[in-house]
Amino acid sequence: MSDTWPLNINAKSPNDPVFIGIGELPSGKYPNRNFIGDLTHVALLALKDAQMVPRDVDTILLIPNLHSAFDQADLIFSRMAEELGLIGHLKSSFMVHSGGSTSDNATRLASGLIASGHARTVLVLQCERWGSADVNEMVTMLSKYGIPNEWEMPTGLQFNAIGALIQRRYMHATNSSAADMAAVCVTLRKWALLNPNAMYYGKPLTVEKVLSSKVVADPLHALECPMLADGAVAFVMTSAENAKRRGLDNTVRVAGSGGCVSHYSVGQEADLGKLGWATAAKRAYEQSGWGPKDIQIAQIYDTYAAVMTSAVEGLGLCEPGEGARWFASGVADPGGKMPCNTNGGMLSAGHTGVGGGTALLVEGVRQLLGRAGERQVADAQRCVVGGTGGSYMDAQVLLLERAGKGAQ
Amino acid sequence: MSVNPIRDEFRAALARGELLVQKCNDCGKLNMYPRHACPHCQSLSLGWQQVRGRGVLHSYTVLRVGAPEGFDQDLPYALGVVKLEDGVQMLGRLVPDAQGNWDHYRCDQTVEFQPVPPEQKTPRACAWFTATSL
Repeated sequence: MSDTWPLNINAKSPNDPVFIGIGELPSGKYPNRNFIGDLTHVALLALKDAQMVPRDVDTILLIPNLHSAFDQADLIFSRMAEELGLIGHLKSSFMVHSGGSTSDNATRLASGLIASGHARTVLVLQCERWGSADVNEMVTMLSKYGIPNEWEMPTGLQFNAIGALIQRRYMHATNSSAADMAAVCVTLRKWALLNPNAMYYGKPLTVEKVLSSKVVADPLHALECPMLADGAVAFVMTSAENAKRRGLDNTVRVAGSGGCVSHYSVGQEADLGKLGWATAAKRAYEQSGWGPKDIQIAQIYDTYAAVMTSAVEGLGLCEPGEGARWFASGVADPGGKMPCNTNGGMLSAGHTGVGGGTALLVEGVRQLLGRAGERQVADAQRCVVGGTGGSYMDAQVLLLERAGKGAQ
Repeated sequence: MSVNPIRDEFRAALARGELLVQKCNDCGKLNMYPRHACPHCQSLSLGWQQVRGRGVLHSYTVLRVGAPEGFDQDLPYALGVVKLEDGVQMLGRLVPDAQGNWDHYRCDQTVEFQPVPPEQKTPRACAWFTATSL
């Protein structure tokens, strides 16, 4: 397989797929909300943002939930078509799933359907009820997902241990200190303080507080691990031509994407301190013609600090080996030169399972649409979105830019 | 549990104190984890090679809370990714020192497969590695 291939569409193509609307519900512990209710409400929020009604949608893509196989089946078997009044109207409703990188792949899939003409307007829906689920049940489930049952399950591996293996290797390879790693969490919290939808809105955090929390899996402290949350996000994509016809001048397009599946089993990753980010970034940059200097904001999967520090290095946003110290310098903070995870990320907005990556994608689109309110990054034109699934099996990179009249 | 001779042969060897790595009978390359067809040449003729289990510790962690169901009695325990000198890699458990600590482990140090696993309340079908005394 060649490492480079061009997109068959560009910013001038009538069938260029664009984001036109986003929706989000607050993430955290919301026992008084429910799964189908949240999906319905978030769908309507995204459609309203796109100045649409359900009947404008011909295809629904579902992002999976992990809290319940029964709820998952509702998604797979088109329940949302019925809930949104689209019976007999909707062409297709189906699920796409690659764990934490699902949102990147859902964007690719929606783009392909739109560009090829198989779909005109795609609604992508996500809801997770992790925050209200039974914690022990979720821990058990997370100790079985993305871990080979024959070879690694007998060791007693689980998700925090996977994050710890990555963080330990990263710290060793880059000589990063515990305080450097904790600084990533503090940057994310600063952003969450600007996001009323974030789980940790209104709860400041310091490096000292992170480092004084108990060690759960060396070198990870409790406050360096993501908290399971309820949450829901949605977005709408259509063709540039359809957006224009509907008078939607402010849109976001995909300038290119790249990906790299670097392992399935964490024990088979060639370099746990780097993962697949550099290869994914190279592919995305080659497809788009962008380089690191073109990027103004970043929204990257951040279940553990080292996943994010290895990503900013692989993307070339900082010098190799300097990711954690780069965060500690404040460059990714509100007001910094390279704002990162401006919703607070999964570590501070809440880990909504597969939805954590979706929330980051939607935040990137929100910033480029200029709808981020108090945390809006002035004149943001270009954003990188990074996702990864399972035991960080893949690195997925989307390069997004403003399109329509807002583009410069 | 489904029938899986590859898994069963690997685990039977561990129980005997041997570490096996899959070897393709056609191209001769080693595969870890063991596969159902050789990922190098797609051959279905696959066998085993016993290895000493010496390698480099790529990364490790000590899990202190939040063990998976059925592993609570093992806490705390250490996991490590070992790059074997044979050119393949795997996840295993790390043997603690006499005081029950893992402070003597470092990334990139040499470790070795321990044929007789340390005493455990529940024996696990995984490889154990220990720091080599140089």
